[in-house]
Amino acid sequence: MKRIMTLGTLLLLLTCILTSCGYNSLQTKEETVFKAWSDIESTLQRRADLIPNLVATVKGYAQHEQETLQQVIEARSRATSIQLSPADLSNPAAMEQLQAAQGELSSALSRLMVVVERYPELKANQGFLDLQNQLEGTENRINVARQRYNEAVEIFNGSIRRLPESLTNKFLLHLEKKEYFKAEEGAKTAPKVTF
Amino acid sequence: MNNVLLNKKGSRLFLTLVLFFLCSQSVSALDVPPLKGRVNDYAGILAPATVRQLEEVLQRFEATESTQIVLLTVPSLDGASLEDFSLRVVEAWQPGQAKLDNSALLLIAKNDRKLRIEVGYGLEGRLTDLVSGRIIRDIITPRFKEGNFDQGVIDGISAMMATVKGEFAATTGKQGPDNSVDPESLLISLLVFFSILGRMLTRTPWLAAGIGAIIAPLFGALALGLGSLWLLALAVLGFVGGLIAASIAGTAGSSLSRRGYRGRTGGFGRGSSGGFSGGGGRFGGGGASGGW
Repeated sequence: MKRIMTLGTLLLLLTCILTSCGYNSLQTKEETVFKAWSDIESTLQRRADLIPNLVATVKGYAQHEQETLQQVIEARSRATSIQLSPADLSNPAAMEQLQAAQGELSSALSRLMVVVERYPELKANQGFLDLQNQLEGTENRINVARQRYNEAVEIFNGSIRRLPESLTNKFLLHLEKKEYFKAEEGAKTAPKVTF
Repeated sequence: MNNVLLNKKGSRLFLTLVLFFLCSQSVSALDVPPLKGRVNDYAGILAPATVRQLEEVLQRFEATESTQIVLLTVPSLDGASLEDFSLRVVEAWQPGQAKLDNSALLLIAKNDRKLRIEVGYGLEGRLTDLVSGRIIRDIITPRFKEGNFDQGVIDGISAMMATVKGEFAATTGKQGPDNSVDPESLLISLLVFFSILGRMLTRTPWLAAGIGAIIAPLFGALALGLGSLWLLALAVLGFVGGLIAASIAGTAGSSLSRRGYRGRTGGFGRGSSGGFSGGGGRFGGGGASGGW
């Protein structure tokens, strides 16, 4: 009877050490990062889905802007061809590539929105205004998703470097540091999409 | 008696945690004003009658639909970005029911001549960016251009309500955020546990305390999925509880479990007493912005 009790106590102690040393919480935090990343992906996808409609609408009014439109279409296809798997989140090169492609699409879109300024009829078109609202909403969602992803990464990266989680990670879990999703280089200089 | 003691401990811990989270929030350029009610007219652009009317309509709407629509007007954004500020407001106020995320905010910045409809996750299906944009463009801003803020806001809120009507049914009683733990039920189950443990280990209170300190956080981690701070607190609680339970079981050795359940009536529920508060709704940047 006594032996069973000491054995049970030891077992409990072991579990306790594991639970309070971040064995579970590290994995939860990593899962939060993955979830936040999938939110970014879905907002990026949402943006990509809006573009064909947008291009079609603008085309009807602004035939002279073939070049700008073409750039948007090409940037879109490049951006959608790059997808990251959860493991790629720890890969700086892959992340860099995706950010570059998405950044290019953002700046192509802002150029298009500036060009559109020259076409008052287009700007009065209900369908275009709707698309524009959706595009703005999507850009905003991307921003929010990016912020939340970066926060999750910050928490995760911080905890795998702090004691005692760092030890748990080193010996048991071997989780890798995650890359941040930085604001696009172009986004700071690109003209703002407001009307 | 020790029930009272533990309850006090629990609420003090809770308070400390709340304070900790409040302090750790960063202060930014334009602070989010406190939530006064459904209508927060800090810019003073609405007539008192309009405020009363809106407040009443929105309250009735929430009673039938459980959806919360909140209005905020500010004099100026002080250079902050509209979308940024709007998100900070809803993250601070958290309107809408937890899990349903059914709420929307109409934000008006008077001097910037900008406005935004911020939509919670639960309403994004109905009150899409497109629909929000149309409400701003076709319904609100034409009135604002005439300088008729009252009518613009009333029409805009009505349109928002009409759009989301029927999306959610009223829930029986207001629910608090689900991820927060009900400290009372936790304490009660712990007390029951300790009374049994204590009776078993009357002679060796320190062993009881040790086991309590181990099992309480274990239970918290496995059954309730609590975070590390809670677990630490539970370990302390478990230690103390084990000690107390052992000594009580030694002297009185009786009806601790029944007493534990009686303590349930004195709980601290979320303010259902007329005051208005958010219920933990979440937002992801949906909605639309506009200007006049």
